[in-house]
Amino acid sequence: MTAWRRAAALARKDLLLEWRGRETITAMAGLALLVVLLLGFVLGAEAARAPAILWVALLLAATLGVSRWTQAEVEQQALETLLLYPGSREHIYWGKWGALTLLLTVLLGLLLAAIGLLFNVDLWARFPLLLGAGLLGIAGLSAVGTLFAALLIPVRGRELLMPLLLLPVELPVLLGGVRLTEAILTGSPGGGLWLGVLAVFDILFLLVAPVLYTVVLEEA
Amino acid sequence: MRLLLTLVGAATAVLLAAGLYFGLVASPPDAFQGDYVRIMYVHVPSAFAAYLAAGTVFVASLLYLWRGRALYDHVAHSATELATLFTGLALAGGMIWGKPVWGTWWAWDARLVTTAMLFLIFAGALMVRELVEDRQRGARLAAVVGIIGALDVPLIHYSVVWFRTLHQAPSITRGEIKMAPPMVAALLVNLLAFAALYLYLLLQRVRLERLEAARSAGIEP
Repeated sequence: MTAWRRAAALARKDLLLEWRGRETITAMAGLALLVVLLLGFVLGAEAARAPAILWVALLLAATLGVSRWTQAEVEQQALETLLLYPGSREHIYWGKWGALTLLLTVLLGLLLAAIGLLFNVDLWARFPLLLGAGLLGIAGLSAVGTLFAALLIPVRGRELLMPLLLLPVELPVLLGGVRLTEAILTGSPGGGLWLGVLAVFDILFLLVAPVLYTVVLEEA
Repeated sequence: MRLLLTLVGAATAVLLAAGLYFGLVASPPDAFQGDYVRIMYVHVPSAFAAYLAAGTVFVASLLYLWRGRALYDHVAHSATELATLFTGLALAGGMIWGKPVWGTWWAWDARLVTTAMLFLIFAGALMVRELVEDRQRGARLAAVVGIIGALDVPLIHYSVVWFRTLHQAPSITRGEIKMAPPMVAALLVNLLAFAALYLYLLLQRVRLERLEAARSAGIEP
């Protein structure tokens, strides 16, 4: 089996599990909507605040989803079976990463729709650009998220530790995402720099995380 | 090891004493900041020691994952603890200095935010290690967190700097501080003293770590 097919099979397995239960996406979408509603009400729903609120909601909701991302493996004791399959363990990483990226992209789509409706921002004309910027952030988010989800398997109280580890590391994604979204919405310059920040973050951690993932799985 | 410890310890004591003399006696008060500038002689060296520790964490973690020698893990663990300590000290010193000079404890300065993030990342790495049953497993997982965190340092730093400066002019601009030679000397001596202090604490902590490891393996040191 080629690397691509192994990764795709794993991503399909994770997405099928999610599709049958739809637990993670429901919880993430619920939390994201709550953050948007609460921040929008407390801070005031001006269009200028929309990018910051969008990314904070995305990041917090993603943390919730990431800490559940190895739940099936842990609860059903399926990890041993997964590790017994022949072939490189990096393929497991890419499968998990792909599925998480897709899941978070669905969340981003829902969030963009909610922001567009609730904040009276005209984002439909720039929807492809906004989705692209979001994807760039999500790629890095799930690059580190996939690694930490596996890393925390043998750690006591892993759901508690996940936000503590993930949020400080993901700070560049948050800042880059906010500024890039602002630049797209207002047409102001400076977007290029943040495109660069997000791209560097993605490339760096997509190179490093799969290698460290094999170390982590040996300990899981 | 014992001789090295004594030598580094003695050098640290001498340098710290010299640092106190230069910082409190030999250097004049600043034209703008008055005596508050003396806080800088502790604050800047703590931040410097924190970055030294972060670099040590990165190198030692990589070596430990690559070679698997327990010594590298002892160094990585000790350096992570010292990184948490010195980022904490740098934060506290920066805030104490900020209150009289900037008029506020927390100025949302890029370096303060970066330091706070580093503090949290290294504290997270320590928690991962403590919350894993198996010692060796915890060590390897903490090494992974250390590597990710250290790689993230420049990204966090520059994104925080650019996030502030490219958007709005900083509300508090610091006056051009032309430093008098005694002040430069005070800063340099204290930088050196804190580097020595860091090295001394690292060596002591590694020694303790080895004793602990030997005890848990049931070998009399």
